[in-house]
Amino acid sequence: MKKLILLVLFCVGLVTVGVGQTAEEFYRAGQYAQALSAYEQDLKNYPNNPYLYYNIGNCYFKMGSKGLAVANYYRAFKIYPRDNDIRHNLSLALASGGETLVPTGVPVALHKAFFVFSLAELKGLVCLLGWTLCLLAGVLLLTRKTGKLSLACAVLFLLCAGWFYVRHTWETQPLAVVASPVAEVRSGPGTNFPVSASVQQGHLVELADQKDNWQQVIVKSQGLKGWIENSALERI
Amino acid sequence: MKRIFLAILAFFLSTCLYAQVQLSATTDKTTLTLDDELTLTVQVSGVSGNMVMPQLPSLPAFNVYSREAAQSSVNGKSTLFFKYTMMPRFVGNTTIGPVTFKYGGKTYQTKPISIRIYRSGTSVPKANNTQSQNTAQAAKAVDQLPPLERELATRAYAHTSEPYFLVAAVSNKTPYLNEPFILAVRFYYSQSFYDAPYQNPAVSNLFMEEIGEAQGQQNIQGRTYRYEEKRYQLSGVSAGKARIGAATVTFRPGDSPLSIFDRFFGGSAVQAEQSVSSKPIEVTIKPLPTANKPASFYGAVGTDYTFSAKLDHDQTEAGEAVTWSATVQGPGNLKTTSDLVFPTVQGVTAYPAAPAAGVLPNQKDRSYKVFKTELVPLSSGTYTLPAILWSYFDPKTNAYKTLASQPLTLTVTPATHTEKQVNFGSVEPTGNGIQTLGKDIRYVISDSAPQTSWLVLLPHWKWVHALVFIWLAVCLFMASVGKKTAAKKHAYLAAKAQLKKAKIYEDVADTLSAYLLAKWNISTASLPLKDMEQALAKKGVSPDVQEQFAQLWKDLESARFSPQADQAATLAQFTTRSAELLKKLEETK
Repeated sequence: MKKLILLVLFCVGLVTVGVGQTAEEFYRAGQYAQALSAYEQDLKNYPNNPYLYYNIGNCYFKMGSKGLAVANYYRAFKIYPRDNDIRHNLSLALASGGETLVPTGVPVALHKAFFVFSLAELKGLVCLLGWTLCLLAGVLLLTRKTGKLSLACAVLFLLCAGWFYVRHTWETQPLAVVASPVAEVRSGPGTNFPVSASVQQGHLVELADQKDNWQQVIVKSQGLKGWIENSALERI
Repeated sequence: MKRIFLAILAFFLSTCLYAQVQLSATTDKTTLTLDDELTLTVQVSGVSGNMVMPQLPSLPAFNVYSREAAQSSVNGKSTLFFKYTMMPRFVGNTTIGPVTFKYGGKTYQTKPISIRIYRSGTSVPKANNTQSQNTAQAAKAVDQLPPLERELATRAYAHTSEPYFLVAAVSNKTPYLNEPFILAVRFYYSQSFYDAPYQNPAVSNLFMEEIGEAQGQQNIQGRTYRYEEKRYQLSGVSAGKARIGAATVTFRPGDSPLSIFDRFFGGSAVQAEQSVSSKPIEVTIKPLPTANKPASFYGAVGTDYTFSAKLDHDQTEAGEAVTWSATVQGPGNLKTTSDLVFPTVQGVTAYPAAPAAGVLPNQKDRSYKVFKTELVPLSSGTYTLPAILWSYFDPKTNAYKTLASQPLTLTVTPATHTEKQVNFGSVEPTGNGIQTLGKDIRYVISDSAPQTSWLVLLPHWKWVHALVFIWLAVCLFMASVGKKTAAKKHAYLAAKAQLKKAKIYEDVADTLSAYLLAKWNISTASLPLKDMEQALAKKGVSPDVQEQFAQLWKDLESARFSPQADQAATLAQFTTRSAELLKKLEETK
């Protein structure tokens, strides 16, 4: 009986190990759809794991869906922006659509520093500095001896709050990526309006308005404004 | 080579043109006497350009003494009439042989016509008999026609006295919504005409499409009428009443003065313009039953639909697109039906394309619609595309019917081109013996999620927020209270310092006032001396100290308003007395 229990436990262990390795094994074998399915299954249990979004982005990229790859790399980047692999793959995927992660004229080091914290971490930092400022202000009120320290803390707090505000504005703007091979930009929300441009997959677009199944988009890199069907876009 | 090609093209074009040539020969009577005359009418339609005249057969029994030619045109299509007036030469049975017409390398012939010639003065009752016989035969023939043709022919019988008239009829007066039905409009004429533009009927609550034209001949009450027919396919837009307005033909009776045959046979006068119209038709569109309506019903109504699906390639690479198309063919206008929804296939991204619709060649009452979707398989493997369902309503059985396509199999091989697309980096030396050959995404990360930073947790510690605010509030309160205590503590010291700097009596009085205000909040400015003593008493100051304060205050006021000779000595005395008083007041608990 004891041997039987041990055998069962051994088998369960083998199966568990197999399940854990399945996604990567599929990926190594070039079976990206199966790998994608496995990673998406994992994502249901760990919705805030940036590496799962990163791996899903890799699967889409290998399958030629650059738009969906960009969308998933972006999600990973938002959660864990200081990861070099995520930054690298996002830059490559964006480059395939003619976009860049670091805006032209901005030093890469500055961009990395700006994104050293995630928005949630930055919020925590602002909280911490706020609390410290309150503590120092209290001490200053009672002892009148922490003036310079309180002033330095107040300056830091204001800087961080400004940083947080800019990041929050950047991350909450409605963005989408062109997911279909080619998206037609029309002058109005319907197929009865003429096509004014076509956008390849992987391009980032800013969402301005919505009417039924149509999104008004702004392609900043091209100075375009028009309407694209929802099915051709993946919201980030 | 070019000439051969042109010759072949000309041959095919001429074949197409000549294919619709129609030739007929009729006589105004088949029995006559030697005194009568006979009119033979040869009618040629569907010709254009250069041609030769029809050739009459040998007519030994007749003398042809008059010839006429006329041309009529409906919507640009010409019909030529050749009339020959003949006198019989002898009694007996004779036959007018086939009239021959050569056109485009082909020879057309009419059927022979049998004629009976009687002696002069003989009554010819056969003519009426023949006419009634013909009428009876025509009526019998009408009964055997299909319903729409029968309806048209029947309506034509109401116009027997008119040389030109227009009739219209529909194949179904109570069709279902979107069920196709036919409208036919016929322009009958027994005399020649020219310049005849045709105006389509106006319709309401109906879709209408022209599907064809025809020409024919009908014998009505012994008179031979030719007709030009136009056919339309209609379908109801919404349930309820629908109306088909009048169709109109405007024409000039007689022969065209511009006819080329005028050169040979003399001109004709220009006739006044006339017009004939058909009667409007009311149609009731029935709604489709809602019971048992399948989800795959997209609005088609009719019978004999066919439905199929196919892939343009059944093998492809991962990431490459294949086209999955479904085609439906059947009666009516399929343009008005909704777009097909393709079933989803796991592991395949679908990009629907706009459907295409049109009329089937050589079958203008049947149309087709092709639905397409681009499929991009995401990885290698074998995919089964499920059967697609498409339903229609069959008005014959009053029931919905569903057609299903065959399931399809798509074999997908691993992608071979993806890496090439990824390599958008140029070959460039990086120094230290390393050369960049290309760029690719980095490998998947199998690590568990990175450790959540403690910073992320801070905003969720609501209790810290509360503590910090409490701390700040306490500090503010403490600071406020401490400020008052300190002010009290500092009052004596400040008063002593101020006394040392006093130069006039007012300075001494101000020092005492400031001390009392800071220490006990007693204002000396607004209170009489008696009230000040009471205030001091309330603060626990002993009566002798009160008395000492009152005496000092009175002396200070006397000195201020009646200055002494030796002011410096007096000031020093007041300063000393004030210092002693302040010390006693400070000692008060």
